[in-house]
Amino acid sequence: MSRESSVIVGAGPAGLTAAYELGKRGMTSTVLEASDQVGGISKTVNYRGYRFDIGGHRFFSKVPLINELWHEILGEEFLLRPRISRIYYNQHFFDYPLKPMNALAGLGPLESFLIGLSYIKAKFFHIHDEKTFEQWVSNRFGYRLYSIFFKTYTEKVWGIPCHEISADWAAQRIKNLSLKQAVRNAVFGARQGMDGSTLTSLIEQFHYPRFGPGLMWERCRDLIQRQGSQTIHGVKVERVRHRQGLVDCVQGRGAAGESLEYDGGHFVSTMPLRDLVQVLDPLPPDDVLKAAQALRYRDYLTVVLVIDRESVFPDNWLYVHSPEVKLGRIQNYKNWSPYMVPDPSRTSLGLEYFLWDTDEMWTWSDERLIELGIRECAQIGLIDPRDVKDGTVVRMEKAYPVYDQVYQESVDRIRRYLETFSNLQTIGRNGLHRYNNQDHSMLTGVYAAGNILGDKRDVWSVNTEKEYHEEERATQPNAGDRLVPTCVAVSVDMADAAVEEAENAVIEGAFARIDPLALGVAVGAVSGAGIFAASAVLLLSGGPAPGPTLSLLGNYLFGFDVTWPGAVIGLFEGGLVGGAVGALAAGLRNWTLRLYAKIVQWREGRDDRRHLLDKM
Amino acid sequence: MESRASQQDEVSRTIARVKADALALVCGLIGGLSLFVMTAWLVLKGGPQPGQHLQLLSNFFVGYSVTWTGAFVGLLYGVFTGGAAGWLVGRMYNAVVDARKK
Repeated sequence: MSRESSVIVGAGPAGLTAAYELGKRGMTSTVLEASDQVGGISKTVNYRGYRFDIGGHRFFSKVPLINELWHEILGEEFLLRPRISRIYYNQHFFDYPLKPMNALAGLGPLESFLIGLSYIKAKFFHIHDEKTFEQWVSNRFGYRLYSIFFKTYTEKVWGIPCHEISADWAAQRIKNLSLKQAVRNAVFGARQGMDGSTLTSLIEQFHYPRFGPGLMWERCRDLIQRQGSQTIHGVKVERVRHRQGLVDCVQGRGAAGESLEYDGGHFVSTMPLRDLVQVLDPLPPDDVLKAAQALRYRDYLTVVLVIDRESVFPDNWLYVHSPEVKLGRIQNYKNWSPYMVPDPSRTSLGLEYFLWDTDEMWTWSDERLIELGIRECAQIGLIDPRDVKDGTVVRMEKAYPVYDQVYQESVDRIRRYLETFSNLQTIGRNGLHRYNNQDHSMLTGVYAAGNILGDKRDVWSVNTEKEYHEEERATQPNAGDRLVPTCVAVSVDMADAAVEEAENAVIEGAFARIDPLALGVAVGAVSGAGIFAASAVLLLSGGPAPGPTLSLLGNYLFGFDVTWPGAVIGLFEGGLVGGAVGALAAGLRNWTLRLYAKIVQWREGRDDRRHLLDKM
Repeated sequence: MESRASQQDEVSRTIARVKADALALVCGLIGGLSLFVMTAWLVLKGGPQPGQHLQLLSNFFVGYSVTWTGAFVGLLYGVFTGGAAGWLVGRMYNAVVDARKK
């Protein structure tokens, strides 16, 4: 293999996107995939014609470049689907996002009142220095609402008590938009969908590939093959050999147990950080190894049931908060896309269980898991067990990187070590140990490809607070401890940047502050001079009692009358009053615009918080 | 160096500058039309001594009276006076902003 080509470990969204972007710019790569299917956690499994996802993957992104890529790869295969989801809790179904009247009816007036009190308490007795997920959510929703709608489900998903989950995790999912970003979104619209649709419209509907997200990655694999790259399945990476700060080659074992070796000029890994560190040869220092061992991953399995009913429930998915059952979420794939089932008279449900691979349940047989799924579904009243005609189980190891109290320190240590290699980049959800969505992972692939070709993009900045600051295009020389994005590699990106810059300029001008002191001085000077001039005109024109009406100003300006000394008093006092009025007007105008921006920012934050469960 | 929090908390970091000519035009139009409308309203209302207080403006605006002719004279004076005040406020505001920047 040419020293100029790249070796990419993992054929998930990040790895395939990196290969695709490299291919577009004339560089070939070899993608090594351990499983027999591409797509990673975004694959679509086909069981006797019933297609299902590993979780549900709605397609919308705040990154225009990713929206473009989706269309570029998949063309017109997207469906626009209505979104319906509910929470099952305490034998009730609650609309999600929560609707006040629906929640009130389900919870009852007393519980609703207590939730209200708890919310007010949270607003007045805010927990400062939020460290845990529990504190973060309680501060925003009140403890009672948190305990009903967030605690059980979160603990099912993550397998650890909410008071042990880092607040970072929630903060990362809810972006803290700056005032300017909020105003820009309000004025120009937050283009987030593939067709430029906004978040508001995406609450009600979403894009989804006709045959599931796996179709995207199968197409992508075919495209990179046409570009001259290859995807090799069944390769388990066992060693990443390196010397003097350079990775030399990747060694692995093929599906038939044969030894394989791949060398190249650049290496990109989407392997879980923990695994990557452990296959480095020579091994890294002990502290890095220990940091890697401290990283934890949540595993996941789906029990798919084929139900002999045309329709089971109208939702795309249900969150199951009730603690009496183990299952955490139920997907109704047919409602994601009617093409996901081969027989329209049947429905396939995906029962999602979140586990550790050390749990006993992880080792249960498929039959036992299917039996559990049927029992639990019947228990919550969704199905009649006699309607279940078939079933299967799919296990996905390391589906979620865990954000516990020590993960950040471990990741930082590993990152510092890996950055000593000049030709190795880690990307993707597990490659960065960051709970990225598909679009984030793809963006890390785009960045990695760009870096190989000479750009300077920081893959670690994707899906972080810093990313949002970078959107501002502000010059922050010390913004990152690796490489802060300084150039844009893709023309679409460039156009977006130009539009964004133009929008920023409009906002900057429209919301420019009026200087209260300057306006006060100007209005004061003109007012004082005006009163002086008016008095002077009357005095010069003469008469026995000049300006009796103007003299009435003396009621407001202490000592003023239409005399020469009065004119001077009018000059000063009129100047002072005019100055105060000018400064006040400027202040009010600035304050009003700021208030508007704050309201817009709060509304955007509220919309984001309303979807917190979706982001788990 | 300003903190990230303060940058996050600003919509615009620009101090507005005023186009004095535009402000003069706006203030002039408002001044002229206001005086015209006030005068016209009193003329239309009629009565034995219409606009005895507004009439006092003739101390400053030679030729002004609360009549239809005076309304048009007032329009011109209003435009001129309002325009001058607006232009002065604009120029002085910009001068102070510039001085504070230095």
